Amino acid sequence: MQHSRTLATSHVYGYTRTLMDRDLQLPPPRIFTLEPASGVPIYRQLIDQVRRLVASGHLAPGAELPSVREVAAEYTVNPTTISKAYGLLELEGLVQRNRGKPMTIAPLRRNQQALTQRLRQIESQVDSLVLAARQLDLQAADLTTLIEQKMQEQT
Amino acid sequence: MKHNGDAGDSSVISLSELGKVIGGKAILSNISANIEPGSIVGLLGKNGAGKTSLIDVLLGFSPPTSGSSRVFGESSFDLPAATKRRIGFVPQQDELLDSLTGAQQLALNAALHPAWNDALIARLAREWEVPLDRRIQVLSGGERQKLATLLALGHEPDLLVLDEPASSLDPVARRQFLRELLEIAESPTRTVLFSTHIVSDLERVASKLWIIRDGRLAWAGDLDALKESVVRVTLLARDALPAHLGIDGAVSQRSDGRRAQLVLTGWQDERQRELADRLGADVTVERLGLEEIFLELHS
Repeated sequence: MQHSRTLATSHVYGYTRTLMDRDLQLPPPRIFTLEPASGVPIYRQLIDQVRRLVASGHLAPGAELPSVREVAAEYTVNPTTISKAYGLLELEGLVQRNRGKPMTIAPLRRNQQALTQRLRQIESQVDSLVLAARQLDLQAADLTTLIEQKMQEQT
Repeated sequence: MKHNGDAGDSSVISLSELGKVIGGKAILSNISANIEPGSIVGLLGKNGAGKTSLIDVLLGFSPPTSGSSRVFGESSFDLPAATKRRIGFVPQQDELLDSLTGAQQLALNAALHPAWNDALIARLAREWEVPLDRRIQVLSGGERQKLATLLALGHEPDLLVLDEPASSLDPVARRQFLRELLEIAESPTRTVLFSTHIVSDLERVASKLWIIRDGRLAWAGDLDALKESVVRVTLLARDALPAHLGIDGAVSQRSDGRRAQLVLTGWQDERQRELADRLGADVTVERLGLEEIFLELHS
């Protein structure tokens, strides 16, 4: 569970642009991937992604979130679904609202989210992987080998 | 979804058991729904489902046969002039005057409205690349559609109604147009209702959805709630499944011995375990995009 990049800064680039970005007038890269045509409502997608980015440390406590308005404009989606996501994340205690300032990732209650919690967040992807594997008559060992290989490639 | 004709004064549009019969044929039946200010409502339906008829009745172009339709609390068929001025409408077939230039057509409309936002229209005409100096008869379908939309926006209406607004627009123009809709509805007092069959546009910008099918409302509510409530479930059982699965809310069902696939409405995640236990089956749940939901509701 080690990350080669310290993304606490680089993944929040939406809000703390580097000098070079500003000079070149480049729009900042997006931190979320929202797919309006998905069967998963946009607010759900956003909640899942913030949870994952926090669980992995890519969004560190104190990191600023883009405003509802900014996300809605950037992805051309209805702001209602974005503010619903932020509202639920706030209820969950994962983000906090700050008067007159951007919302931020809340201080972690425990030092780091437990492994089981992080695993739970990837469970639905594993479910679809397992389904595909069954249809292909693959064994768990085949999958494990492939996963290990892929994870090594990406570090 | 049922009822609610005289929902308080806050509703922008309020339909109660609305029916419309034309030439002995029921075009709209028993439609009850409300729209609150600040929402973007997508009206989705097949060709001929009744979208345009519904818009005609709610804007007062034709009277309801039964039930009632109210806009800003006033009866649609009898709207006072002051209420009409709060509405902007872009019809499916534009009503532009071919012999005028875009600028002349805009000036004509501006003269009819005491409050006309020239700066807004100038900005949008520039951003949307509408050639205002050319005669309307030489404009392309997309350019005409953009101009017709400008005409409906100049007086900054509290209710904007668009009938198939993006059908002639290319993907770039459609995206610009959707951004503008979002900006309009950012004000909590403004409301947008647009009919479309371009499902992907609707999934982006609509917060509420009306699905009309054979003149009836098949869904009126949050888009998010619809996506959460309709799923495709695949059952793979160890033994042959019973002919009657006893599952509520099935829109469609296919089964073949140990395998069954159903599209269900009113889904809740707890049902997955219940189905697995009761039928002795592996249960896979697949969430559906709006296009698939729409197709399933029409299958």
